[in-house]
Amino acid sequence: MADSFQIDIATPEKLILRQAAESAQIPGKDGYMGILPGHAALLSELGEGTLSVTSGGQTKNFTISGGYVEIRDNHVRVLPDSAE
Amino acid sequence: MPSLIDIRRRVRSVRNTQQITKAMKMISAARLRKAQERALAARPYGAMLRQILANVAEAAGQSPDAGAHPLLAQRPEKKILVVMITADRGLAGGFNANLLKLAQRFVNDHKGADLSFELIGRKGRDYFRKRGARMTGEHLDMMQNLNVAYANKIADSIIERFSAGEVDAVYLFVNEFKSVMAPTLAETRLLPIEVPQSQGAVDYIYEQKPEELLGTLLPRYIRLQIYRALLESVAAEHAARMSAMDAASSNASDVIDKLTLYMNRVRQASITREIIEIVSGAAALG
Repeated sequence: MADSFQIDIATPEKLILRQAAESAQIPGKDGYMGILPGHAALLSELGEGTLSVTSGGQTKNFTISGGYVEIRDNHVRVLPDSAE
Repeated sequence: MPSLIDIRRRVRSVRNTQQITKAMKMISAARLRKAQERALAARPYGAMLRQILANVAEAAGQSPDAGAHPLLAQRPEKKILVVMITADRGLAGGFNANLLKLAQRFVNDHKGADLSFELIGRKGRDYFRKRGARMTGEHLDMMQNLNVAYANKIADSIIERFSAGEVDAVYLFVNEFKSVMAPTLAETRLLPIEVPQSQGAVDYIYEQKPEELLGTLLPRYIRLQIYRALLESVAAEHAARMSAMDAASSNASDVIDKLTLYMNRVRQASITREIIEIVSGAAALG
């Protein structure tokens, strides 16, 4: 199994992040989700909260609200309405 | 024969105009670059959202309790809302005129329908106001600092009217940015939504029901389309103005060359005449 996955974060205005990561915490509408490599295909609405992406021991945090997350083929696509 | 001073004056005036058109060209080039960057930056989100929508729509279509979403409702097109995005300013070649022509043709083809207009950009507003069209909204001077929030506001008001049955269909007229040379006119039906085709269903784990997701995805899709159309229009406007001003600048060069040539000829003629006068004067004395 792969030890990392690809994560894209894009708002309507711009692409915020596109990189490989080892884990991510995503605020779903119904609670936080922890994502690890090899996650099954998933589609969910996003809630409000902090999205954190960990890669190589470094963690990046984004405050996001609303939108969607799609996971497919070890590729996480986060489409928040807004992100900082 | 015009005097030398007159011609010189004209050359100066053309040269001044050329300076203005050159400056406008440079400004448009700079703004075009910025607009293109923004349009490019918005692309990943659009592509991803479209794909998700296609997949969800397919899944929602398969579920047994799929009620057609209000934004997909096909009704006989009696009340039509025309959304048009033009520029706030002119001097952009055929940018506004061509789009207005397209929209006018649409209006002529739908004489029987109850048309209303949501106009973005001063040129389109002025055109339809002069013709006494029924306007439901006008949005001026928003192109300079385009933001998602305002685009969403327009989109939401359109969605609301469609959901409430105030309009049966919404058409969008916009100049799309295909190349720097010429904008592409586009007439698209915004509502009811035509869901993009999915490329093979994906077996997702759904945190929410597909139908529920569809309900929130569809309005976002409209918002996306409006925002994208605005970005495209702004880029296309600057591209059109840039090439119009480029053409104007080179026309001015031609005019200056022609006038200079004429001016030299006039000067030559007057010198020749003076010589003849002197020579014949001398001959008469002798």
